[in-house]
Order: sequence, then C-alpha cells, then structure tokens
Amino acid sequence: MGEMMNGIPENMDPRLPGGFNLPPFGVHQFLALMIVCVALWSVGTVWLGLQGAQQWIGSWQGNLQLHVYIPVDKAEQMSELKQKLSTITGVDSVRHVSRNEAAIWIQGWLGDSSLNVNKFSRRLPESLELTLADERNQFLFSDIRDEAARFGATVNEDEVQLAGAHELLHSIRQLAWFVTVILALAMALIVSNTLRMILLARADEVHLMRLLGAKEWFVRMPFVLEGTLIGGGAALLGWFLLWPLIFGVSGWADGMGIELSPFTLLLPLLFGGALVGCLGAVIATAKLVSPDSVE
Amino acid sequence: MLMPKLTFVSINADRGHLHGYCFPMSANHPIIEMQQLMLRYPAGKVALSGVSLAMKQGAFVYLTGESGAGKSTLLRMFYGGLKPTSGQLNVQQLDMRAVSEGEVRELRQRTGIIFQDHRLLFSRTVFENVALPLRVQGWEKERLVPRVRKVLEFVGLEDRLWSYPEALSGGEQQRIAIARAMTANPPIILADEPTGNLDEDTARKVLDLLMALNQHGTTVIMATHDLHLLNSHPGRVIQLHQGSLVGDSHG
Repeated sequence: MGEMMNGIPENMDPRLPGGFNLPPFGVHQFLALMIVCVALWSVGTVWLGLQGAQQWIGSWQGNLQLHVYIPVDKAEQMSELKQKLSTITGVDSVRHVSRNEAAIWIQGWLGDSSLNVNKFSRRLPESLELTLADERNQFLFSDIRDEAARFGATVNEDEVQLAGAHELLHSIRQLAWFVTVILALAMALIVSNTLRMILLARADEVHLMRLLGAKEWFVRMPFVLEGTLIGGGAALLGWFLLWPLIFGVSGWADGMGIELSPFTLLLPLLFGGALVGCLGAVIATAKLVSPDSVE
Repeated sequence: MLMPKLTFVSINADRGHLHGYCFPMSANHPIIEMQQLMLRYPAGKVALSGVSLAMKQGAFVYLTGESGAGKSTLLRMFYGGLKPTSGQLNVQQLDMRAVSEGEVRELRQRTGIIFQDHRLLFSRTVFENVALPLRVQGWEKERLVPRVRKVLEFVGLEDRLWSYPEALSGGEQQRIAIARAMTANPPIILADEPTGNLDEDTARKVLDLLMALNQHGTTVIMATHDLHLLNSHPGRVIQLHQGSLVGDSHG
C-alpha cells in the first residue's frame, strides 16, 4: 500500500470526528439540501418578482408627481391655490406649468408631428405640478382634492391611482418579508430535524467524545458547520435555479422594460441560507445529552 | 504470561502534563481517595454506601462483586459520570463533589476508560478510533499516525491500523479499546469488565496488556467477575456487596 509523507495511505482519508472536521455527507443531508434549496428558490422567486414590479412601477413613478388643473376662467386664483397647496403636509413643492411648456410636452408626446399645438394648448386649463414627499400620508390626496375643489380646480385622478400602486407595492414587500420569515423558520426546522436524525445515528460518537473529555464546542461544531453548509449550499443551488426562470420570462420582461438582476440576490440568499442552516443546527444541538454528560 | 514488546517507554515521558496541569507522581500519594462515599440515584436506590478507600498511584486494583454491587457506579464516579450524594471523593487531587465542568473534562483527558462492550466506532477505522483521544486533546494530524502506530504495536495490532473494527475478532477489538485508552498516556486506566465477553485465553492476553501498562506506572482499576484471572494476574482486590465495601486484600 503506497503511503504519503505523513504515514497515511493514499487511498485513505482519515476523518476524525469533532472540531472543524465535517461529518460524511449522506442521504439525509442530500434530502435536506434539496428541500431547503426549493424553499430558497421560492424566496428568490418572490424577491425577483418584487424586483420586477418595482422596476415596472418605478419606471413611470420615479419622481412621484400630481397635477392639479384650474379652468382658464379662474386662472387669476392660481397663485393663491399654489400657495395653499404648498402648505399641505406631504407636498414637497408646487410648480406652475406654463402653457408654453405644456405645448412643448404635447408636441413631444405627439412625436414631433407637424400639428400646431399652440391653438390647442390655449384651451388647456392652467396646470400646477405637485411633487409629493410622502404619498403614503393617508389624508394627502383628500386634502389636495378639498383644496383644489375650493378653487374650482380638479386633480388628475389617474395619477392618484398611480400613487396607490406604490402603496400596493409596499404591501407586497411586507408580504414578501412575511413569506421569507415563514420559509426561513421552516428551513431551520428542516435542517434541525435532519441533524437530529444524524445526531441519533452518531450518539455513540458524541458520547465517546464526551467520555474522552471533549469540550462542548468540539462536540457540537461539526453539526453546526454541517447545518451552515447545507443552508449555504442549498442557497447557491437555489440561486442557480433562478436563471432558467429568468430566461423563461425574459421576452415578457423586456417588453415591459424590466431588467431582472439575480446577482443582487446572490449574497442575501447565501447569507440567509447559511444563517437558517446554522440556526437549525443550533436548535438541533441545543439539548444534546449523553449518559455521562458533565452535569 | 504474554509480555508485549516494551517499545513504548517513551509514551510515559509526558505523563501528568496536560494543558498546563501537573499531576504529582508520588508513588505514595493516593490517586483516588474516598471517605464514607455514598451515591443515591434520583429514583431512591442507594448504589454505594459508606465506602472508604484509598488507591495509590501505580496500583493494580480489582473491583469485584455480584452484578449491582456498585463496581460500575464507582468507576463512573472516578471519571465524573456521577457525582457523590455524600461523603468525600478525591480523584487525581480533585474533589469530585465540588468539581467544575471544565475540571471534569480535564480529568477525563487524564483518564483512560475501557468498557466491556469496548464502544469502538464501527464506522471509523482503527486509526480513527485510537487517535480520537489525541484529537480531542488537540494533537496535530501529522503527529497522530506515529503515536497510534506505537500504541498499536504495544497491543500487537500494528498491521490493523487502517482496518475497520468489524473485521477484527472480539479479543482484537478489546485490544484496540486498550490502545485507545492508553494512547493519550493517562496516569490511570479504568476498565469496566474488559474481559467479560472474552474466552479465558483471550481474556488472559488482555489482562497481560493491562499488567504491562501497570508495570510502566499506570494505575489500573478494573471491575471484573473473572475471579480465576486473579491467580495468574495478582493485584489488590476490593470486594463490594450491595453497594458496601466487604473486603479489601490490602485492608
């Protein structure tokens, strides 16, 4: 039998238990890895979807603005309305949009056609552009509406609904966090359950190490490392499995101006997976009693 | 009597020194001392009662008595597996009633333990089994193989370094257990009926090994039912009956 320098045969790979030595990888660990991988893939999919939704809404809502229109016959009250609107909590600034600016915008919107919009723009109401600081202020839109109505002005309700979409996105984000936490707990319990089975199979080993005077960290460390690696490995695999999904929806996403970037999910998934794996291992080894445990 | 090759003298070189601990090696100093030792299990059964003894460093001591006499219980108390209910027990100068968890761990690192069922790890090689105490004590991997070879040479199984325990006979498995117990060079070896599952000839060979270790200064305390072995392998005989001391050949 050929031997290496340190006296260990080439075909042997001594793996002493305890400390930073990982236990052998078996079918239990593989199953746990696959289950956690599916869970992490689900988490990744949820956050990737949220990323897409944010881009979609953000593309027409980057700087949230609202327009208030005052009829031409009441244009003399515009300055007063502007001043009143700017005092409403949640309104960052109010700007008067000149007819000339409106005409240029319409001209651009019409694709710079040869149509003369000056005549048309003369019939337009006066516009005030409100930049909003906090569209989640529950009384903001009703306050603006009330103030506008007092001057006979109207609010662009389409833009109000657009702001509501932002609120919806906020709710979806909270839901995504809730799903993530629930799945993280489930993953931790799956890893914990797997390690409990492994611990039962290795009870003799644990008992023996304790009889030999091993410190508790020495006995528990392999299981904590194993849990962390299962979580981290599952995260990496789950992240790779996001790519087919991205390729699958790429045509649809391109059409909506969405560019999904799974790279932003790699580190959160890796750290999150490793953390839940570690948490599962800590739960599994929390009560690790042997007949001759030091009491 | 089979005398193993005594090529392991150097294994005693560092005896008593472990993680800064220095155990005094005076032959006259008791390595174990107890006064009115009592152990009552939580269920109420009294396992040991009023046992007073002293065992000197380097002694070879047999604990005898019927099943349930308290032999194994006493051995478990010597390595901190059980704490006395009352009385006094000092093991390697540690008061076992007041001992801390860390002290128990250090005590176990200075104690070799052999069981009747040897408790070898069958999924591990002989090398991994024998090297385990050294691994627990933080030995470097490169130092393990020469050391394990040396102790396996002592028990006559140096050619089984990379075998698995299931490929060995009962006697060989028990010799591996002895190798594991002595590999960290402890000043004391506790053997709980190590010959209980062996035929007479194999049992004698196992006892030869323990005797050889004892001749190199290791204190050996062995619980046994095999009284016939006492004729060929003399030692101090302590007899227990229903948890009480009823006989001591050095008494």
